[in-house]
Amino acid sequence: MVIKKLFFAVLLSVCCFLVNAQNITGKVRAKETGKELEGATVSVKGTKINTLTDANGSFSIVAEKGATLVVSFVGLKAQSYKIGSSNNVDIVLEDGPKYLEDVVVIGYGTKTRKGISTSISSISEKDIRTAPVADAAQALQGKVSGVSIVQSSGAPGGTGGTKLRIRGITSINGNSSPLIVVDGYPLPTVPLDQNVENVLNSFGTGDIERIDVLKDAGACAIYGVRGANGVIMITTKRGKAGRTSLSLDVYRGIQQAWQLPKMLNAREYAIINSEAAIASGKTILPKLADFNAIEQQYGEGTNWLNEIFRKAAMQSVNLTATGGSDKAQFSFSAGYFKQDGIIYNTDFERFSLRFNGDIKLSSKIKIGNSIGINKFTEHGIDTYTPFNSIVLLALTAPPTVKPRNADGTYAGGQGNIDGFSEPNPVYELEVPKNTNTKYRTTGNLFAEIEIIKGLKLKTLFGADFIYQENNNFRPITPSTGGRPYDKTSYSASKNFSPDYLAEYTLTYDKTLFKKHKINAVAGYTFQENRYSNLSASRSGIFLQPIPALNNQIFTVTDPSQIDNAALDGVKSRLISYFGRLNYDYDNRGFLGFSIRQDGFSGFAPKNKFAIFPSVSAAWRLTQEPFLQNVKWLDELKVRASFGYLGNPDIPDYKYIQSINQSFQYTFGNSSGSGGVVTGAAPSSSYNPEIKWEKNEQFDIGFDGSVLKNKLSFSIDFYQRRSKDLILFIAPPLVSGTYEAVPFNSGTLQNRGMDLSLNGQIFSKKSFSWNANAVIATYKNKVTSLGLSAPLDNGFARIGGGSLRTVQGAPINFFYGFVTEGIFQNYKEIADHAVQTAGSNPTTSTAPGDIKFKDLNGDGVINDEDRTNIGNSYPTFTYGLTNYINYKNFEITIFLQGSQGNKVLNFTRWYTEGGVSNGNYSNKVLERWVGPGTSNTMPRVTLEDPNKNSRVSDRFVEDASYIRLKNLRIAYNLPAKWSSFVNLKKAQFYVSSQNLATITNYSGLDPEVGGGVDIGFYPQARTFIAGVTVDF
Amino acid sequence: MKKIFFKQLSILFFVSILFTQCKKSLLTIEPTIPLLTVDNYFKTEADVISGVNANYTPLSAIYSGAAWHLGDIMSDDADLGGGGGGDGAETAELDNFSMTSFNPILQIMWAQCYFGILRSNLVLEKTPLVAVMNPAIRNRSLGEAKFLRALYYFHLVRLFGDVPLYTNVITAEESSVIARSPKAQVYAQIIADLKSAETLLPNTTIGNDKGRATAGAAKGLLASVYLTLGDKVNAAAKAKEVIDNASLYGYALWNDYADNFKLINENGKESLFEVQYRSGGGTFSIYGAGTGINTFYGPRFQFIVPEGGYGFTVPTRNFVDQYEKTGAGYNTIIDKRRNRTIWIPGDTYNTYVQPTSLVGSPYGLNTKKYFISVDDPLGDAGQWRSALNVPIMRFAEVLLIHAEAAGPSVGKPSADLVRARAGLAPMPTGLSDAAWLDAMFKERRLELGFEMHRWYDLLRHPNANYFVTTMTAAGKTNISAKHRHMPIPQGERDKNANLTQNDGY
Repeated sequence: MVIKKLFFAVLLSVCCFLVNAQNITGKVRAKETGKELEGATVSVKGTKINTLTDANGSFSIVAEKGATLVVSFVGLKAQSYKIGSSNNVDIVLEDGPKYLEDVVVIGYGTKTRKGISTSISSISEKDIRTAPVADAAQALQGKVSGVSIVQSSGAPGGTGGTKLRIRGITSINGNSSPLIVVDGYPLPTVPLDQNVENVLNSFGTGDIERIDVLKDAGACAIYGVRGANGVIMITTKRGKAGRTSLSLDVYRGIQQAWQLPKMLNAREYAIINSEAAIASGKTILPKLADFNAIEQQYGEGTNWLNEIFRKAAMQSVNLTATGGSDKAQFSFSAGYFKQDGIIYNTDFERFSLRFNGDIKLSSKIKIGNSIGINKFTEHGIDTYTPFNSIVLLALTAPPTVKPRNADGTYAGGQGNIDGFSEPNPVYELEVPKNTNTKYRTTGNLFAEIEIIKGLKLKTLFGADFIYQENNNFRPITPSTGGRPYDKTSYSASKNFSPDYLAEYTLTYDKTLFKKHKINAVAGYTFQENRYSNLSASRSGIFLQPIPALNNQIFTVTDPSQIDNAALDGVKSRLISYFGRLNYDYDNRGFLGFSIRQDGFSGFAPKNKFAIFPSVSAAWRLTQEPFLQNVKWLDELKVRASFGYLGNPDIPDYKYIQSINQSFQYTFGNSSGSGGVVTGAAPSSSYNPEIKWEKNEQFDIGFDGSVLKNKLSFSIDFYQRRSKDLILFIAPPLVSGTYEAVPFNSGTLQNRGMDLSLNGQIFSKKSFSWNANAVIATYKNKVTSLGLSAPLDNGFARIGGGSLRTVQGAPINFFYGFVTEGIFQNYKEIADHAVQTAGSNPTTSTAPGDIKFKDLNGDGVINDEDRTNIGNSYPTFTYGLTNYINYKNFEITIFLQGSQGNKVLNFTRWYTEGGVSNGNYSNKVLERWVGPGTSNTMPRVTLEDPNKNSRVSDRFVEDASYIRLKNLRIAYNLPAKWSSFVNLKKAQFYVSSQNLATITNYSGLDPEVGGGVDIGFYPQARTFIAGVTVDF
Repeated sequence: MKKIFFKQLSILFFVSILFTQCKKSLLTIEPTIPLLTVDNYFKTEADVISGVNANYTPLSAIYSGAAWHLGDIMSDDADLGGGGGGDGAETAELDNFSMTSFNPILQIMWAQCYFGILRSNLVLEKTPLVAVMNPAIRNRSLGEAKFLRALYYFHLVRLFGDVPLYTNVITAEESSVIARSPKAQVYAQIIADLKSAETLLPNTTIGNDKGRATAGAAKGLLASVYLTLGDKVNAAAKAKEVIDNASLYGYALWNDYADNFKLINENGKESLFEVQYRSGGGTFSIYGAGTGINTFYGPRFQFIVPEGGYGFTVPTRNFVDQYEKTGAGYNTIIDKRRNRTIWIPGDTYNTYVQPTSLVGSPYGLNTKKYFISVDDPLGDAGQWRSALNVPIMRFAEVLLIHAEAAGPSVGKPSADLVRARAGLAPMPTGLSDAAWLDAMFKERRLELGFEMHRWYDLLRHPNANYFVTTMTAAGKTNISAKHRHMPIPQGERDKNANLTQNDGY
């Protein structure tokens, strides 16, 4: 109806065409808040005349009498105003269903939200700006339904990885991360740093305008073989015609660990360790024998966690300048971000620059660019590998060991005195110098020409250059304990991976018979990825203590300690054709078709090209007569989409049978070690049919708003089936080969629901409260493993892995034993299945040991008694963001949580008796010491004859949490004051990240990527204060 | 001016579309470090030789990790020994005839034979296509591939009966549907390959080629195949051919039986073919370049061999009782072969004296044939790396094949040669065919003891039930007729629905 009215208004204005130009001035306000609107577009219908309102909402425009002004503002309903007798007009814009007018980036184009027939979620600049994060991906957490973001590490700068998963997990061996597109540039998949996903942390966050997440096949199929995991479209700020504006945002803050586990003090440690030694039939360490003396000498002892954790600073500066004329607009931004890690001696520093420009050469030709230049430097520490993680080293180092001697030299555990000679965490943090520097320049130039009305040709050339340097220097440094470096080693590697893109798109927009709107896109793209790598390392005696590989600096003591490697070439090429047709009928019905053909160099010659079609449709029921009278319902749209997508992660060259030259045999003089000859033969079969994994996705969704648009919602139900999963299958030995070969075998399924709600709870001039809630849930199930045997992986101390994938269960569930309490006496042991046979408690099961359930009832506890003991998938995840404006205050309260996710807490393996003579968690004080003393914490031993520490449900914990992720209070300087100092706007704010966390999880942090906690870098609680000024 | 520049730039942009390529060839990227494939590898003589070398590689694992468990421990010659309990459980299964289709030793034999077979097929397919090649090397290579393929199939067919038979470079798909071929077809292929190999292979090898297959080895193996099939005429003829041309091939018996098992005599005059080991290479692995037999067979933890010795393959008293002796005690054995073949109580080495009983060896018996002292690191570098080759066929065996196949009258001189070296009297004349056969079985057992033949000799006896009765008599009462064929590995059957199981498993 609105459209119809508008249409009549336009008709009328054309009829009343009078040549009588005059200057019209006026003000534009928002109806709900009464505030003047800055930046509203005022145009004269049927002409090219337009202007923007200023800070006071005022405008001035030349128009003829009787002409119609069209006033629009993002998020509000556009208004038409027919110029009557008055030259001064006051226009009040009503709240529209804001999201309906939102312009969404859909891949090779944009579209207003109301015409979208696919599933796309978005966040705006405000959501990113208010969260002080290093990695833009982290800003999506809890704000976009259906997107799971797990920060599995609190390492500064997000270097420890931010795992992004859209609607579940689509692959077992392949990539499950979404494609990330920055200003139209699909970023290549590059080798992971430290095996974690942190693509976006090399980009600044201050220049991002919005992030759109394409979730269903209808939206993603335009990205074809790379679309299976969803697509994240990042759009950076572009200039707008009008006054040049300059915005500066500066904040500084401090961070610290929000929770650290309690360990034993020196006396407790001496007692427990001695008890364990006795239980294992060993002599007590003489040093620990006298508990009182220990207490006197060491007091509480070394608190190793305090030695490695600290309060750390962070700061950020962002400067953005935008502006331009009708002909040319620019946006320039510069950012600086520095974060010290809450673990001593770790830090991250990033510089970012961006320049985006648009120039209209004529009414038909437009050119532009988008270029971002970034550099970061990271000084990191290992927190991601079992045994070596600095967090684990600190957890297990005994309190009776000191980091330094009295004279300041390094100390640490001594094997013969402390029975413990693991590395000294302080030494490990101070001595090795690890520097990781990454330069990334991503940009494109484009030109767009309107060939005939409605038909545009766009050409885009882009490049994404990544240059990375990794330097690790370990100077020989003495220490009286721990594991000091007895020779110096230095390794350096330099990688350059340039990626190039050429893209041509033809877009055609046409409205036929007034009601039929057609938008068609056809395109071709070419993307090539190259790489070069140079690395070298040496270990030996350095003549000077500087990190250099030169001969005059370095004497190699062992030639095997020199390593050089270089590689250079083309890595991959992708050549694609794509097309999309959108048809809108009268703003009521919408149909979309898209198709993409991808040719990828990694595919087998037989299967070089893949085609991915999709179809989507939507119907705005509220535009139909039968819903016109339902007053409470303002908008209701039903959507559905279906399509095919791909995942191209195929191992290299497995479609040909390669020759293995590592075989050996002996001829001639074979006494001693003479006569060796090499042999060449295939050791692996091949699969000439190998191809991409295929995803079949179905989505049905409803968007709507009720109660005068005060509450809007969007809900989606989906099913995603991954087919042709690449699994490595060992060949029959009859084939004469033995290495497993990738086959497209196996299927898995994700089914789920995404819900987002947006409510304007209050919207008065002096007080408004807007809340945004998202809830997402999905179930993941492997429906077939094809020919593959069950897959075991994940860290475990005692063989067999901790994660398993089998048919009929979710990917990578925890696989281990079920515990049934603790044996209180020998009778219980005798009555139970045999665990570790024998009668000697130092070498066999004894009272105080854990009772494992005999699942197969064969009377013996062995690997066959393992089962599915939970998984890391949450029942649901949620986020609640509140934006509250009260007078000059803006308050943001952002809660985020996860319910039902489990974590296999392997830090407990270490802290409940896993490391010989290592320290224990203070929970061990509750251990079993006699019948009835404990049914959960086993007796302490040094050698664990019963294997109490095997993977079992004992370590599986509920890691549900709710977190006050962000609390931000901002104060806007009243306009009269800010204008006094010539500022358009000035805002002061304080904010805290992770201020409060409610969880039952006993480890350092409940956010654990992959569900197995081996002692990751915990997230920090952050307090910051900052100021934003607009000139 | 500026505007014009931009216009030209934009025109350039649009024109660039014309240069856009969309050829499929762009989507083919060669790896930076060239990838060697079965299709591009075989270009030169050296490539062919490398390919052939890989045909030999499986021999190391077969004779280090499977042949002795099956040929000797499973037979009436030896028992498992070792430390008891779960020590060598997979071999205990064989010793006790409780083996299942999951037995890893059987899988090693199965796998390694097929590795060799595929590699032979590849060499046979690619070698004729190599343009420039010394004809002698080309023939030798083809001959080696055929000889080794025959040897691998011979192992498989004797152990498993009907087995998948292929002579092409099989694909993974084909290998997952291939069915078992009848034994007769497998033997036909073995005979065809050996007949071809005996013409292609050189008579002798020298220097760095010592250890490669020769024409004599092919003929000797062919004689053994005929004997296995009960074809005495061809067996005798083929063995005779070798004996008659012994000087051509350089074959003769060592004067001292023990000389066969000395490092300095490897690939010596009595050797037709042997597995080549060296003391370098991987440690603690049956896939290494050396063999662990020395450590496995050494008297258990007596430290006269590296790693102490594990005391496996303990000779049965049934075996030792076969030796001719003058009294009741083993110390009265007159057969000269005994001293190199087994340890008996009281045997000495330097200061070591073999005790009257050991863990796993209640009568103080151990296998000595492959003994390399712990003091000889060149011969055995430790960690399962003995360099001592294991004979696959010796000239003595050719003589015994001839003796057995040619019968009591024609065969007697051959048997007497072997007996004479052992310090035994010539065979009596006038024996019946049956008595001669029994005598020859016994002679083979003693001459070739612990050379991994015995189980197959039991199976090939003309009396189909011989192996059951003989084994039962020797105390291995779990044996039954089904054990003529071992179970096909279950893992293979899981991947190939057409692979049937042998009866009784």
